[in-house]
Amino acid sequence: MSAVIEIQGLRKAFRGHLGIGRRAAVDGLDLSVKQGEIFGLLGPNGAGKTTTLKMMLALLRPDEGEVRLFGRQPTDVAARRRLGFLPENPYFYDYLTAVEFLDLYGRLHGLDAADRKRRIVTAIERVGLSGSEGTPLRKFSKGMTQRLGLAQAIQHDPELVILDEPMSGLDPIGRRDVRDLILAQRAAGRTVFFSSHILQDAEMLCDRVAIVFKGKLRSVGKLDELVAREAKWIEVSVRGALPADLPGDRTTVPDGTTLLRVDGVPSLTKVLAAVPAAGGEVLSVWPRRESLEDLFLREIGRAKAEERAS
Amino acid sequence: MRRLLVMLLVAVAALGVGSARARLSDIDAAGRGNKDLLYMPNGKYLKAISLGHAPLLADFVYLWAIQYYSDYTQADRYRYVEHVFGDVIAELDPGYIDPYWLGAVILTTEGKDEEAGLRLLDRGFEKNPSAWILPFLAGWECERFGRFDRAAAYFDRAAKAPGAPPDLFRLKAGMTARTGNLREAISRWQDVLGDPRNNDEARAIAARQIRTLTVRADVQDLDAAIAAFRARNGRPPHSLDELVRSGIVSALPQDPDGNAYAYDPSAGTVSSAASRVLGS
Amino acid sequence: MNAIIAIALNTFREAIRDRILYLILAFALVLIAVSHFVSLLTVGSEVKIVKDLGLSAISFFGLLTAVFVGVSLVFKEIERRTIYTLLAQPVRRWQFVCGKYAGLSLVLALSVVLTGAALLVAVALKGDSPVGLLPAVVLAFVELELIAAFAVLFSSFTNPILAAVGTVATYVVGHLSWSFDLLEKRMAGDIGKAMCRGLHAFLPNLDRLNVKASAVHGLALPPGYFAAAVVYGLSYALLIVILACLVFERREFV
Repeated sequence: MSAVIEIQGLRKAFRGHLGIGRRAAVDGLDLSVKQGEIFGLLGPNGAGKTTTLKMMLALLRPDEGEVRLFGRQPTDVAARRRLGFLPENPYFYDYLTAVEFLDLYGRLHGLDAADRKRRIVTAIERVGLSGSEGTPLRKFSKGMTQRLGLAQAIQHDPELVILDEPMSGLDPIGRRDVRDLILAQRAAGRTVFFSSHILQDAEMLCDRVAIVFKGKLRSVGKLDELVAREAKWIEVSVRGALPADLPGDRTTVPDGTTLLRVDGVPSLTKVLAAVPAAGGEVLSVWPRRESLEDLFLREIGRAKAEERAS
Repeated sequence: MRRLLVMLLVAVAALGVGSARARLSDIDAAGRGNKDLLYMPNGKYLKAISLGHAPLLADFVYLWAIQYYSDYTQADRYRYVEHVFGDVIAELDPGYIDPYWLGAVILTTEGKDEEAGLRLLDRGFEKNPSAWILPFLAGWECERFGRFDRAAAYFDRAAKAPGAPPDLFRLKAGMTARTGNLREAISRWQDVLGDPRNNDEARAIAARQIRTLTVRADVQDLDAAIAAFRARNGRPPHSLDELVRSGIVSALPQDPDGNAYAYDPSAGTVSSAASRVLGS
Repeated sequence: MNAIIAIALNTFREAIRDRILYLILAFALVLIAVSHFVSLLTVGSEVKIVKDLGLSAISFFGLLTAVFVGVSLVFKEIERRTIYTLLAQPVRRWQFVCGKYAGLSLVLALSVVLTGAALLVAVALKGDSPVGLLPAVVLAFVELELIAAFAVLFSSFTNPILAAVGTVATYVVGHLSWSFDLLEKRMAGDIGKAMCRGLHAFLPNLDRLNVKASAVHGLALPPGYFAAAVVYGLSYALLIVILACLVFERREFV
């Protein structure tokens, strides 16, 4: 099955302030996204995520390299017909109502009137905006605007949905709804490509991720492969009298308890026996595996070190 | 405390505005004179500034001029009339007829400058060859100060303008008569008679005029012949035939009714029954 | 085509819902009503004042509309970033520009129709026939279309203030282009003459679209003039819109 998104050797640089110098926003990116997967483009602010997305949508032209959507150039209207896009912090026409807005975009997709009406109703329901159809967009809250943006992105049932920071500005309920929506897309066989700097969401959703830093790809692959599944270490919270020779590192917490970082079940067994014997108390046991956050911070740290060395 | 200060400030400012305004009005009324008009630029420049709204600007200048020239307190107001009407307004909107004649009226009746008035009307007609009203008014202006020959010329111009009513030729003929050149006038009246555009009433007027003028012309000629006879022979002729016999006239004219002219030897005057109809 | 219509209607709707348009329109209508009273001040033909004021109002307020609405047409979309989702649609960039221009044209047509109707009523009330004014009204609309094209062009690459300055400058130069003719005669060198000729030919000659004087005095236009003027204005506008599309095609949205 051919790739839905194919990026090769992508480069884009911008002129610095006052035209002095060049700052590379995207510096040699290679990516490939298959149909039916949820792909996360992760990186800190300024890593080039939004620039990459814009090049995927023909809002910017690459200096070097190629972007292909469904095997076509982003400038090709046929490619854009099969996708839906939600930018970061979207803003829509104040003077329209929700329905008028979706109707306009439906028209731009070439949908006929009856089709549009149907799809608008479905989309509004799916994003949880029922009841606000006739409200002028000027009166929408940030969360509502985000939902409307999603509605606009999916109303024509696109094969590929591209989202730039879809969770930004949403409350927990909103975030859960967006997550559900993304999962529903995958369930329907659609592809989702989103960029984010919120790793918990990526962890919960993505099949594959790419981590970018300063325009360069640091790591890419299946989430399962990048982040180990088994527990890496176990965090034990203890209080009171402690034996002197406990395995693992210990950290004292201000409220008087101590956190022990134990590196495996054997060591854990020792601790669980030793602490009560010494007169202390075991408060909690928490197996931790390396999170995406840990991976992320590690990659970034490595990148920074490389930078300093060169 | 602060509120008091603000109120004081407002009071002072209001006083300043009020008194200064009164003072400025007084100075103004004392007559800044024609300085306004000194700064009125040539119409060509105003046309450039108007950016496609020249006719409207012409209207505003015209309206302003009407107000300005209605104000009788200004001394020496007429120096720039020709400039305003003939140059500024005319350049902005050469097809605007009203200013030409209003300006001419102001110049002739109030400014006492008939020549300038005529110049204005000439300029207007030059730019609007079908505005026969302008030479028409010029003709009456000439009539007013007794220049019948010029009046006739103007009426001729007016009559020949496209769309002019044929009646204007009658005015031309009438003016020609008043210049004293009666034979010429008769020809002009005959033109009117022959003009197919004229209705029966006009032709009746022409016929009457020809009749009257013919009598007058004939009488004039006969009087001249009698005077010549007297000069030669020291006495008036006994009858009109004597004029023929002495060779002063070759033949005696007949009046329009076909009768001979009557001669009164004692008074030495010629008359005709025909003239008694009109009593000219 | 459907896309252009959709964008055009949307642009029209945006302009209609913006109160500035109503203000401008109200001013124009008030002015035409006032002209009735101003005409009482004149000596001679009163209806001339009404006609002049009316035609100038149609032109002038149309110009304000074209500038105020036109210069922010493209810019607002970029500034407010509504353009991101819009261009992600299967819409080509030139369709976007043409749609915006078509929407603006609709607004201008509405403005001219309303103010034109008011003028025709005002003239009829004075007892004169307003039919002779129609060529002037139509050419005024053509002139507005040309100005609007420039407004859209400037709007596609710069902010509203500069775009407004550029558009107004174009209007002013367009009405002074006859001066290049005169300048050419005064120029000494051949290069100067050639430059003047070039500028005279290239810059929009808006005075050719101005037949107010003839219309007001009831003079017939020379045969073929009206058609030629309409073709000139609309063709020039088309060229400028094409230029705007080309400029917009190359734009990047950082």
